[in-house]
Amino acid sequence: MIGALRKELLLQWRTRTQFMAVFIFGATALLLFSFGVGPNAEILRQFSAGFLWLGLLLSSTLTLAESFHSEMENRALEGLLLLPADPRALYYGKALANWIQLTLLGWALVPVMVVLYDAGTNRLPSLLLIIALGAAGLSAPGTLYGAMTAQIRAKQTLLPLLLFPLIVPALLSSVKATSLVILGDPMHALGSWLMLLGAFDAIYWALCGLLYGRVVED
Amino acid sequence: MDYGNNRFPRTPYILIAIGVALFLTGSYFGLFVAPPERYMGEVQRIMYVHVPTAWNALLAITFALVCAIIFLFKGEFKWDARLEASIEVGCLLAFLLCCQGAIWAKPTWGVWWDWDPRLTTTAVLLFAFLGILTLRKFVDDPVKRGVWSSVATIIAYVDVPIVYFSVRWWNSLHQLQSSPETVSSQFYIPLRVNAFAILFLMTGFIMLRARLASLRLAQEVAPPPMLAEEVGETA
Amino acid sequence: MSGMVVGGWGYVWTAYALTAGALLIYGVTLITRLREEASRSKMEAKRQ
Repeated sequence: MIGALRKELLLQWRTRTQFMAVFIFGATALLLFSFGVGPNAEILRQFSAGFLWLGLLLSSTLTLAESFHSEMENRALEGLLLLPADPRALYYGKALANWIQLTLLGWALVPVMVVLYDAGTNRLPSLLLIIALGAAGLSAPGTLYGAMTAQIRAKQTLLPLLLFPLIVPALLSSVKATSLVILGDPMHALGSWLMLLGAFDAIYWALCGLLYGRVVED
Repeated sequence: MDYGNNRFPRTPYILIAIGVALFLTGSYFGLFVAPPERYMGEVQRIMYVHVPTAWNALLAITFALVCAIIFLFKGEFKWDARLEASIEVGCLLAFLLCCQGAIWAKPTWGVWWDWDPRLTTTAVLLFAFLGILTLRKFVDDPVKRGVWSSVATIIAYVDVPIVYFSVRWWNSLHQLQSSPETVSSQFYIPLRVNAFAILFLMTGFIMLRARLASLRLAQEVAPPPMLAEEVGETA
Repeated sequence: MSGMVVGGWGYVWTAYALTAGALLIYGVTLITRLREEASRSKMEAKRQ
């Protein structure tokens, strides 16, 4: 698994221009959301958490769809499956790499959000933790569906179609937790939303790892 | 290869006929015999079709889960056909459920969509399973199609309770649980009759749809006649 | 929520008509699709 992770990270480092492109896409999305609302600083601040997560979600479909690109070229996935490695190790390597990439992307989008929506916070560690947990919720099922949709035509359409309804709980709790961090948390509800997010992550990291072997086998 | 149950070709039609008869009876009781409810008045009558739809939609999706698990373990294509059938019928029922829920919400709460946890979960479920049906259309290899849609079904099914609890938590402001304290047989008869009506209809539909899926699969697996002739000539 | 919701028969009829109509249409299209497919597979069998 460590080997698989190292391979993925090396690959991502080599294609870091792609990361930059996705980041620019996400930042553009954040910019566009504010045109959907209008130049009202107060409302923009209210919705900033939702916009951040929607921006991250839209960008994530790009990274997740791309993440199996190299496997599909030269039929490398079949080669990998011939190795005496557990497909589960391959899955977790891939999912961890996607997680790291999405987390970095989310962290990179935070300054954009702060500038555009005036959504500063002095609880930065909590915010970064929420982004990491939410990105984990996106990457576990996203990697599994990415493996499926990479093998078929119309993958850019199908991946969001399958992924978006599924991650509703993760999106909901991430947005709620993020807006509590930004707008203040008088009821101390942050912990319970983080619990929900963590439970979602745990369930899907376990379940998708279990099912991945069936998806890639022939 | 066994492509589904062909021993009793009439069974689904009989089930559908029973379902239609029961639905007419139950709706008659619900619309004309049952008295208006104390708070909800006439609108309460929507519940006699809404609640049975909800039960049966859940049942159809649960059957899809069972089919998915059996297909993953056994790999028999009749379970794949049943999976496709029950997802499609489940989507139909979930769509109806959303429409009925919106029609119920408008006179009750004044808005079409109230972000009620049950209604919202149904909508999420509908889109999740529509996604799976779409996925099936795009995969040409029958084995991959079966395995992937089974995997996706399991993942989507696990999501349902999580969505329900998170939406309930998220929208905990106005929880208006409509628990009818009027436990009268006049309320229960239409509810139960319609529940069985939709159950019979659903079972018949799923059987027919599974037969259709099996026929299509048989065509897909069989070599096209031209090719078969060529192979025969060269051999 | 004091008192009874008055009227609303329109909503009730809409809900029932929608349900019955959708189930009916689905049933009809299902049977048509099945007939088509069955006749086609019979044709194929004959040709072979």
